[in-house]
Amino acid sequence: MKQVYQKLDVSKKSSVEMPSKVLLVDDEKEFVLTLSERLQIRDMGTAIVYDGKSALDLVRNDAPEVMIIDLKMPGIDGMEILKEVKQSRSEIEVIVLTGHGSGQDRKKCMDMGAFAYMQKPVNINILSETLKKAHEKIKTGK
Amino acid sequence: MKRLKKLKPAFWDHRDIAGSHSHTTFNFRRKWKLLVLFTSFMALLPLFVMTLVDFSLTRRIIEDEVESSMSKILSSAAASISFSKDLKKSALDYIVHSDAGEDNDIFVVNEDGALLTPSFYYGRPGTSDIFNVNLFNENSGIEEDVTPKGKPVIAGYARIPDTSLIFVLVKSKKWLTDLWLKPRLKLVWYLAVSIVLILLSIMGTATYLVGRIHSTDRKRTEALRHAEYAKKLASIGRLASGVAHEINNPLAIINQKTGLILDLFTLREDFSSDDRLIPLANDVLDAVTRCGGITRRLLDFARHMEPSIEPVDIGEVVGQVLAFLKKDAERQSITISVDNQDVIPDFECDKGSLQQIFLNLIENAFAAMEDGGQLTISIKLKEKDKLTITVSDNGSGISIEDIDKIFEPFYSSKDDHWGTGLGLSITYGLIKEIGGDIMVKSSLGKGTRFTLTIPITAGTDNGR
Repeated sequence: MKQVYQKLDVSKKSSVEMPSKVLLVDDEKEFVLTLSERLQIRDMGTAIVYDGKSALDLVRNDAPEVMIIDLKMPGIDGMEILKEVKQSRSEIEVIVLTGHGSGQDRKKCMDMGAFAYMQKPVNINILSETLKKAHEKIKTGK
Repeated sequence: MKRLKKLKPAFWDHRDIAGSHSHTTFNFRRKWKLLVLFTSFMALLPLFVMTLVDFSLTRRIIEDEVESSMSKILSSAAASISFSKDLKKSALDYIVHSDAGEDNDIFVVNEDGALLTPSFYYGRPGTSDIFNVNLFNENSGIEEDVTPKGKPVIAGYARIPDTSLIFVLVKSKKWLTDLWLKPRLKLVWYLAVSIVLILLSIMGTATYLVGRIHSTDRKRTEALRHAEYAKKLASIGRLASGVAHEINNPLAIINQKTGLILDLFTLREDFSSDDRLIPLANDVLDAVTRCGGITRRLLDFARHMEPSIEPVDIGEVVGQVLAFLKKDAERQSITISVDNQDVIPDFECDKGSLQQIFLNLIENAFAAMEDGGQLTISIKLKEKDKLTITVSDNGSGISIEDIDKIFEPFYSSKDDHWGTGLGLSITYGLIKEIGGDIMVKSSLGKGTRFTLTIPITAGTDNGR
């Protein structure tokens, strides 16, 4: 399966500060579609999948730079995706964005190597800031 | 009366405040009475039987003794008289020489019952038919009789051999009873002392046993209650976190959609003509942020239903609890002032317990205060490793009689259907669990001050 990272053609020039390949994984369609559009407005290339299995497929075929994943999803849940991604493709940065979240979950995710753990509803500016930081980390890491 | 009150065991006035759970009801007073009654009966019955047996035995022995002593006197008298030749004369001589009186009335009668010598009870000699000689049908014996004056007596008699004369010894019955009185008194004394001792020991044992049952029962109920309460809290926590989680998702959608609208407004020129649209969208976003705060607080609160030791900032905990009760405070227009000037390091503790403690104390303070009350919380580092926190209100206060009991379970000054009477007892338990202490000072009408001492474990100053 191949997914195209879409980009809004508002600004023609690709920003170097923002990640161009962001994969959004969430089963809440309305949420993730809107979020994707807003990230595209903010000069990011995004792709969307609605379940864990397609997310992992996509990671294998066309690796994203940064992933934003929900924890609670039917089938393969966020924790498993995080574990899998960090084991096979540790260069991908993962941001956990969830409406369910306890301190234990946060600790577990951070221990597994998540870049950040954020709770819904999230402020778009804070999210973009985090994505920017993740992008910077990848760039300096290279 | 006061001393008597002190002696009264705790179960005497026991009433099951938790009346709805009838399986724990147990009438201690009735049980105690039954136990005492049954044991007393079983212990005293043999005692009474033994005493009765002893009583009749002693009585018979004494009667025998009296009989034998009387017959001894009579027979010896009869014998001594029978040896002499002039029987009549010597008999009279004997009587004259012996001192007749109330105790020993000795006289001689003939077969017709006429007195031959003076008698104390029966009068001068010559009085005939005064004595019912028909009583004397044997050679010698002892009979009971009544004197002409109506006095009950015992009469011992012996026929003087070869004559028609009868030798009589009369003794007042009173003498017999006097003789009998001493052992009987002794017996009664013995019985009374035994009864008192037995009853005392039975009552003591019964009180002890029933008291023990009562206290164990109380402890059991208390533990049951505690578990029930904890379970209730846990399920409330689960419910709260479930609701918060479910609300978070649609909230996130609202947030993103409104954000997108806002993005579009700023990006495209079409909407810039109406300057009301952007502030409106911003208002929606503000409301979403507020809702997010609520769900976060709910989650935060629910999370700490399960105990977990972590570094805590006491100021933050108090702040969270106050934020939770903010609406109540506003409704009652209570002024809350928090004094936490001291720099207090984070310390390892169960955050949930601390929240519960402050929630209970502050809720109680709210309940005690009228509208427009004043709640003061001060957090101070008294010693290096000891935190002193006071929660004081200017509410109705607690009376002196009640103040000893407020940490007892099931004790509630609120109406029974209002509180469980467990709040402060749970608070007390939680404080003891984290190694702290709680003290209370109160004066009626002026207010109440709870002082908490919480130890700060050393070495975790910068635990975060």
